[in-house]
Amino acid sequence: MNKNILYIFLFAFIFSACEKDDICLSPTTPKLILRFYDTTDQTAIKSVPNLSIWAEGKDTLTTFKNVSLDSVYLPLNTNTSQTVYNFKTSETGNIADNKYNKITINYTTEELFVSRSCGLKSIFNTVTITSDNGWFQSFTPNSITTIDNATSAHVKIYH
Amino acid sequence: MQQALMLKYIISFLVLAVSFSGFSQAKDTLTYKSPYGLRLGIDISKPILGMIDSNSSGIEFVADYRISKNWYIAAELGNQKERTVEDYTTSTAKGNFIKIGLNYNAYKNWLDMNNEIYVGMRYGTSLFDQTLDSYRINTGSDYFVSNTTTTPLSSTDLDAHWTEFVLGIKVETFKNLYLGFSFNYKIMLSLKHPQNFKTLYVPGFNRVFDTETGFGFNYTISYTIPFVNK
Repeated sequence: MNKNILYIFLFAFIFSACEKDDICLSPTTPKLILRFYDTTDQTAIKSVPNLSIWAEGKDTLTTFKNVSLDSVYLPLNTNTSQTVYNFKTSETGNIADNKYNKITINYTTEELFVSRSCGLKSIFNTVTITSDNGWFQSFTPNSITTIDNATSAHVKIYH
Repeated sequence: MQQALMLKYIISFLVLAVSFSGFSQAKDTLTYKSPYGLRLGIDISKPILGMIDSNSSGIEFVADYRISKNWYIAAELGNQKERTVEDYTTSTAKGNFIKIGLNYNAYKNWLDMNNEIYVGMRYGTSLFDQTLDSYRINTGSDYFVSNTTTTPLSSTDLDAHWTEFVLGIKVETFKNLYLGFSFNYKIMLSLKHPQNFKTLYVPGFNRVFDTETGFGFNYTISYTIPFVNK
């Protein structure tokens, strides 16, 4: 009987010794996901050639530096209520063919606790997006109630 | 303040216990008698840990009372303060705890030895405060570095209840003086969390793992006030 108790202890100790809350695996602050579509056939995805993206006053995002992609994810600044992004594309790759577009994203942040290792995340509420109508023909939607996940595209951009 | 009061209780109880125990003198017999009484002690690991680690401080008193050949009623009570530093948060938990339960001595003593290898169970409870000292939003990216908020957010009067399985040894080193070591595994029964945060540490329970379980140990010096020898 006493031996059994000892075994229970040993088992409990071994199994609970490997805990997984030391590494942050849960989703944290969501990024704004944009997907690019063809402006003439609005159901067709159309990638952007030689795309570079940077926030106003900052360096180009390392993941989006002269790449050809049909969707991008952009971090929003959690310290402010506005983030401005610049998009540069070039059909040929020549500087002469560079086209620009600027979008301004306004939002309010809400802080939510995730877990011990992940800490707190922000979600974005009452998001509004405006564009200076550069090479973006149109986009939808221009307001989002809340961005609390990064599972699918938030904004469709037609070009 | 509460600690001082607790100490006063223990001391007065001790004095009372000694006066009750009187001057009974055991006669020599062929069968070996072992003492029955109240054993009081202190966990010396917590003050030592407090000296090494500036993030933790605490004190724990232990007591047990022998009720039969192998069974003891056991209790631990104390106070702890612990700062938990994580990647994105720094928080402090502080408060009092008490644990009450039974120990079963599974060790067969030779002659007049009074050593123990025991298993036990406890019910534990703690009343504590938790403060989120500082935090930084986890943005999942280093493109925009989030600001660190250093305004402390306190949650008071949080409580926790848990069960504990204890495994330990006690060795009589001098007459009635024991050195003990015990290890325990805890399972949370109920736990209050601060709003928009989580209780990461509970006094007496220690770190609360994701599965709401915990571990602990103590290293004790205790003294038995013998009431009778049976």
